[in-house]
Amino acid sequence: MRSQADITRGMPVTIEVDGQMIDSFSGETLLAALVAAGHMRLRNDQEGQPRGFWCNMGTCSECFVSRLDVTPVRRIRACLITVEDGMRIATRSISYD
Amino acid sequence: MLVEQASTGSGASGQNAGSLHFQIERRFLERKGGLGLEGEQTATLSRIAIDDWSTLEDRLGVSLHVHMNGGLMVAENADQVAILKAKADRERAMGLSVETIDGAEARRRAPYLSEGIVAANFMAAEGHADTRKIAPAFATAATAAGAEIQIRTRLTKLEWQGASFRAEIIGSEGAFTVGAKKVLVAAGVWSARIAAMANLHLPLFPVGLTMSASERTPHFLPHLVQHVAQRLSMKQTEAGNILIGGGWPSRLHRVDGIFDLSRPAELIIQSLRNNLSVATKTVPRVADLNLIRTWTGVTAVTPDQLPIAGEFPTMPGLFCAAGGSAFTLGPTFARLVADQMLERERDEADRLLAVASPARFDSLNGFMGR
Ligand SMILES: Cc1cc2nc3c(=O)[nH]c(=O)nc-3n(C[C@H](O)[C@H](O)[C@H](O)COP(=O)(O)OP(=O)(O)OC[C@H]3O[C@@H](n4cnc5c(N)ncnc54)[C@H](O)[C@@H]3O)c2cc1C
Ligand code: FES
Repeated sequence: MRSQADITRGMPVTIEVDGQMIDSFSGETLLAALVAAGHMRLRNDQEGQPRGFWCNMGTCSECFVSRLDVTPVRRIRACLITVEDGMRIATRSISYD
Repeated sequence: MLVEQASTGSGASGQNAGSLHFQIERRFLERKGGLGLEGEQTATLSRIAIDDWSTLEDRLGVSLHVHMNGGLMVAENADQVAILKAKADRERAMGLSVETIDGAEARRRAPYLSEGIVAANFMAAEGHADTRKIAPAFATAATAAGAEIQIRTRLTKLEWQGASFRAEIIGSEGAFTVGAKKVLVAAGVWSARIAAMANLHLPLFPVGLTMSASERTPHFLPHLVQHVAQRLSMKQTEAGNILIGGGWPSRLHRVDGIFDLSRPAELIIQSLRNNLSVATKTVPRVADLNLIRTWTGVTAVTPDQLPIAGEFPTMPGLFCAAGGSAFTLGPTFARLVADQMLERERDEADRLLAVASPARFDSLNGFMGR
């Protein structure tokens, strides 16, 4: 999914998403890393239908995920945050909250 | 026939905080000479509105997320507690069931309240409802009952012609005219402009307000929370978001010295900061939540802060329902003004709406040549 031509990438970064390891590159937004790894479903609506990111610019709040490697756990907009090695992320695609 | 220039609920009715507040608003207590007859009448309307909201979902046959789990108006120091007590005394005298409880009791009922809260007035009937659902639900019910509702249809001219009104209207399929014996101006902040079409002054002034929503969180806040000395309203929606408001201003756009009602008011960042600061001081755990949205809405106030509902004495046949806290009182105004217009128990409706009658501003129209 990542474009390859004429691109210089940052250092490889590995993050954990819903218990699985995902490869990404430093400088990418968390949302870009999620999308590249196929994590399009970020939560379920009240009818259990999938919801995913929308605006990619911090406005719609559809890309909220939980960051588990900080205390207290923070809920962050994936499109506004760049990946960091060791990040642990939980989407809300498992259950509606 | 109802004509709506945009869509039902596109005005203040779809932008507001959705608070159902039946305690007397603090702004009324600040008046010289107190609340006399006006207070009694406002309390009477509140009592009717409590019944109206308790039965609204059944009558409209849909869920409006009406929650009436009680409302707390909190205080942080002795001066504020004195105001709460005086307020509760007056309210009880007017037949509203309000009790003053101390900080410990307030936290027992509402464990989310800050330790800084030393007392609260509690009213069991208060609560909130889903702003986005109400106006469309009324429109659906009205249509089912035979009303014709035309959206994206704008009134551009309104004239009294001796025996009836003539309205010029522009809809999606072009302009048309309608004749009517009776007309209701229920155009919120635009009502003064509609009145002007009929050559009448209507003292309703636009004010911009600010609202915010947090991300969703498991339900912990079943009440409506207000502050006796600070601008604050808080509640948790059905979906779990915390709505935060309370009357912090936003800035209206102006063109040539006229308030431009065609654009949303501009956010004042200090209003947002202050609003969130009062909210987190009152309910500390909201500080851990992300703010997901802030919006502005425009509503209408009158010189005496009371709503305007009833018939214009200078132009019989023309009615108005606008201004005031017309989310809480809207269903009641709708029912009573409908009674007036249809001459159904008219005397009773006139009596109940006396406090809101446009008659009190009649002097403004003494020089408006017919
Ligand atoms: C941010 C905010 C928070 C608030 N919080 C509360 C609260 O918690 N509790 C409470 O009780 N009240 C609250 N209010 C006040 C309440 O929202 C309003 O009093 C109420 O919604 C007004 O309803 P309305 O039908 O009179 O006006 P509106 O809902 O504004 O409706 C007027 C309609 O008239 C239409 N219109 C205008 N001109 C024309 C024309 N020429 N032709 C055709 N259609 C036209 C508009 O498009 C609009 O849809 C709040 C208001 C705001 C802005
Ligand atoms: S995708 Fe809209 S806020 Fe992130």
